[in-house]
Amino acid sequence: MRVAQFKRRLRALFHRAAVDGELNDEIRLHLEMEAEELVRTEGVSLDEARRRARIAFGGVERYREAQRDARGIGWLERRGQDIRYAFRGLRNRPGFTIAVVLTLALGIGANAAMFSIVDRLLFRAPPLMHDAGRVHRAFLATTWRGQVNENDYLAYARFIDLTRDTKSFDRTALFSEQELAVGTGSDTREMQVGIVSAGFFGFFDASPTLGRYYTAAEDAAPNGAPVAVLSYGYWATQFGSRRDVVGQVVQIGATRYTVIGVTPKGFFGVWPDKPPMAFVPAATYAAEKGLDIRGENWWTTYHWTWAQVIVERKPGVSVAQANADLSQAFLRSYQNELTTSPHQQSIAIAKPHAFAGSVLAERGPHESTLAKVATWIAGVALIVWLIACANVANLLLARALQRRREIAVRLALGVSRARLASQLFTESIILALLGGVSGVIVAQVGGAVLRTAFLAPTSTATVISDPRTLIYAGGAALFAGLLTGLAPLLQTRGVNLGHDLRAGVRGGAYQKSPLRSALLVLQGMLSVVLLVGAGLFVRSLSHVKAVPLGFAPDQVVLAELEMRGVPLDSAPSEVLRHRLHSAAAAIPGVTMASRQLTMPFWDTWSFDLYVSGIDSVSKLGQFELDAVSPEYFATMGTHIVAGRGIDVSDAAGAPGAMVVSQAMAKKLWPHEEALGKCVRLDSDTLPCHYVVGVAENIKSDQLGDDPGLYYYVSSEQFHPNQGGLFLKVRGDPDVMKETVRKALQPLMPGASYVTVTPIRDIIGEQTQPWRLGASMFVIFGMLALVLAAIGIYSVIAFNVSQRLHELGVRVALGATMGDIVRHVVTGGVKFAAAGVGLGIAVAFGLSHWIEPLLFEESPHDPVIFALVAGVLLLVAALASFIPARRAAGVDPVRALRME
Amino acid sequence: MANRADLLQGTLDLLVLKALLLGPLHGWAITKRLAALSDDVLNVGQGSLYPALYRLEDQGWISSEWGISAEGRRTKTYTLTALGRKQLASERSAWRLFAAAVEQVLHAS
Repeated sequence: MRVAQFKRRLRALFHRAAVDGELNDEIRLHLEMEAEELVRTEGVSLDEARRRARIAFGGVERYREAQRDARGIGWLERRGQDIRYAFRGLRNRPGFTIAVVLTLALGIGANAAMFSIVDRLLFRAPPLMHDAGRVHRAFLATTWRGQVNENDYLAYARFIDLTRDTKSFDRTALFSEQELAVGTGSDTREMQVGIVSAGFFGFFDASPTLGRYYTAAEDAAPNGAPVAVLSYGYWATQFGSRRDVVGQVVQIGATRYTVIGVTPKGFFGVWPDKPPMAFVPAATYAAEKGLDIRGENWWTTYHWTWAQVIVERKPGVSVAQANADLSQAFLRSYQNELTTSPHQQSIAIAKPHAFAGSVLAERGPHESTLAKVATWIAGVALIVWLIACANVANLLLARALQRRREIAVRLALGVSRARLASQLFTESIILALLGGVSGVIVAQVGGAVLRTAFLAPTSTATVISDPRTLIYAGGAALFAGLLTGLAPLLQTRGVNLGHDLRAGVRGGAYQKSPLRSALLVLQGMLSVVLLVGAGLFVRSLSHVKAVPLGFAPDQVVLAELEMRGVPLDSAPSEVLRHRLHSAAAAIPGVTMASRQLTMPFWDTWSFDLYVSGIDSVSKLGQFELDAVSPEYFATMGTHIVAGRGIDVSDAAGAPGAMVVSQAMAKKLWPHEEALGKCVRLDSDTLPCHYVVGVAENIKSDQLGDDPGLYYYVSSEQFHPNQGGLFLKVRGDPDVMKETVRKALQPLMPGASYVTVTPIRDIIGEQTQPWRLGASMFVIFGMLALVLAAIGIYSVIAFNVSQRLHELGVRVALGATMGDIVRHVVTGGVKFAAAGVGLGIAVAFGLSHWIEPLLFEESPHDPVIFALVAGVLLLVAALASFIPARRAAGVDPVRALRME
Repeated sequence: MANRADLLQGTLDLLVLKALLLGPLHGWAITKRLAALSDDVLNVGQGSLYPALYRLEDQGWISSEWGISAEGRRTKTYTLTALGRKQLASERSAWRLFAAAVEQVLHAS
């Protein structure tokens, strides 16, 4: 482009008024000259001549368009005009604008919030990890009792074997995150600690902010070195970012670690949602924890499986090759294991193999229920988005219909259809972008609820400052704009100039639109699907809550003893526990205290059992035990149904006593009385435990089909030097837990400490997926219902306003108010009924997909389906009733005179 | 290759340049001059004349100037530029080639 040309175009762009003025002058000049000539040559009057000149010139508006096109800045200029025009239009109809933007904000906000969660759970690589695409977690698979077990927790010795015997990987590392007591004295707090081998840091582009990371030599068996690398966050909050932190000592667990470095900002290892306060060498941690492995070294045993392994494929090595290599190494390692533990399953049966899975914990093969629910809710959010789009499309259509006359006039004035379409489309896009911006705000504010539900409380997830989420929200907004913009575009195609101009305000607008009806039905259908989902989850949750646990968790707290580097011999340990037991019973507010060894749903303890007359008890199932004191059954509220509970007489030296669950009694002695039977634990040469009582079944493993094979022995007769306490408390367990901790802590020797947990929290973890599913489905289902109601309301209200004339005629002809209301409401309910019918069919077809997430609930529960259908029809009737009332109040004379 | 619309547009440019070769004119006068030169056969629609004038000016083939006419009216007068003369020459030969080719086709027996 030449300079002069460019200058001219710039002038045209920025001095549009002046340039347009010149253009008008020129046109005027032309018309005048033409007219004068006509007067001269044909002798017509001046007015007539001007008229003819105008006709000869043609459409002035169209000519101006072409004129601006020729200036070469037309496209840009017209987009600017369209945007201004759209904004002006939106400002003139604030109600419409707010309705559309809010609807979109809800739809887009719900999606952005869920995206930020699902992305973190399932897609996003840990921050700062380089070549995340080549990084995997190693999974080991073995077959046991015909079932393939895939496990990613493995022993240190296995890690060493896998590292040594594979060639496919650039690097491997061992990692584990543990909650450990950090600090000393009353400042002791349990915090997340990253326990990682020296090679772990190599997976990241993260050089330390301060100091250095530890070396392989500091992370070597048997002892490792007591060195720690603090996380940036902990360094900033606890040490005020002081640079002299290197060399200071921090107590973590039982070990006093010397700080040698600080990680960079934004580095959280593989736990961005549960950031560790520090990273310590795997060997150092293992040396501290691995003291009591029976006769084996922690670095040679294959039985202490406590950590995961992360590997990075060499460039060019495929996943399949890596899997084969890993499997080969695991096979060799398994052979090693067989030489030290000959009882292990043979290779032919265990079929050991290995594979490289996703580095993200929530991705398979053991995808948590949480991740599944989150994925479902993300799908649900997408449906809400669709409903919002349908709603907005409907509102835009209504508006386009209302503007039919205006559109016809503008077409008549020579505005091209393409231009008109572009204006309508611009309006949709602007609305969508406004909706997107509001949606991000909704996601940031409302999404906090979702994030606390799905992510760890320490998670730093936000929406506003996260580019990935913002891009997603922008995409959702733009796509909504494109989708909703299509509807009014289709409408401009059907404009019939003559008809629409003649029709005036009334006839130009009201007509049945199949597209709009279809959108209404679609909304109804989607809402039904969501509400059915909500109903099924709510029913599941009530089933879950009604499950008899066999014990009453609400008023009981669990006091656990963490010995932290205080290796007491048996006798002092036993004395300590007796002392704690009596002290706990004396705490005001504690009504009952019992010894315990295991906690249902948390840990289990089981033995091979030997019963005369039964070949292999272990074939009948897994029998789990707890070792308790006499107060246990009263503390937990577990009923004894036959015989007696554990008794003070079941002391050390007395004959072994045992209380079995009803299920266990039935399993072992289906046709006989259980009381008095002899059961030998662990070996068939050990003395008998005699069954002294039968207790009701408890759930100890899962809330669903729990086999309930459980038994109780006396804590005086079984590992009296281990375990903690169950305490029954009065009042709020969350308050009492601190009272209990303060009362017991002074009795603890050295660095050991007590933790107290209300067991309803432990049970609560079990019901969490259902609670989450129910609350999320209900929230999104209600959102869908509200949107659907707004949709029906706005369409019916719009129809009524366009039909006032017709309704007036009806009233004039003798229709009563009731007739009119019925007529209008029926119109609305008809749409809803179609949507409900379709929705029920779709939900019926789809609901089996969520069956695995339901609890003792049929995915085709007729009660839910009927209820949802009823609710939706009722809402539709209500939404139509309001405009119907208005219609019925129409004064026929005014309605007929209108226009 | 060229479609009908392009052909017509190209022709209009040629005609406008030719009209201005005979001396500066304002818009209305251009249509009159073309009508006179073609014995009223060519009637240029004003709707396409002004966009053509702007396009030609944008290309630098003509220049325009606001002035006062003999009757005291404010008029915009267009003048052929040196660049425009060259363009006219090349368009003229292109047109002759084209017209001759069409003639030849029509006379083929």
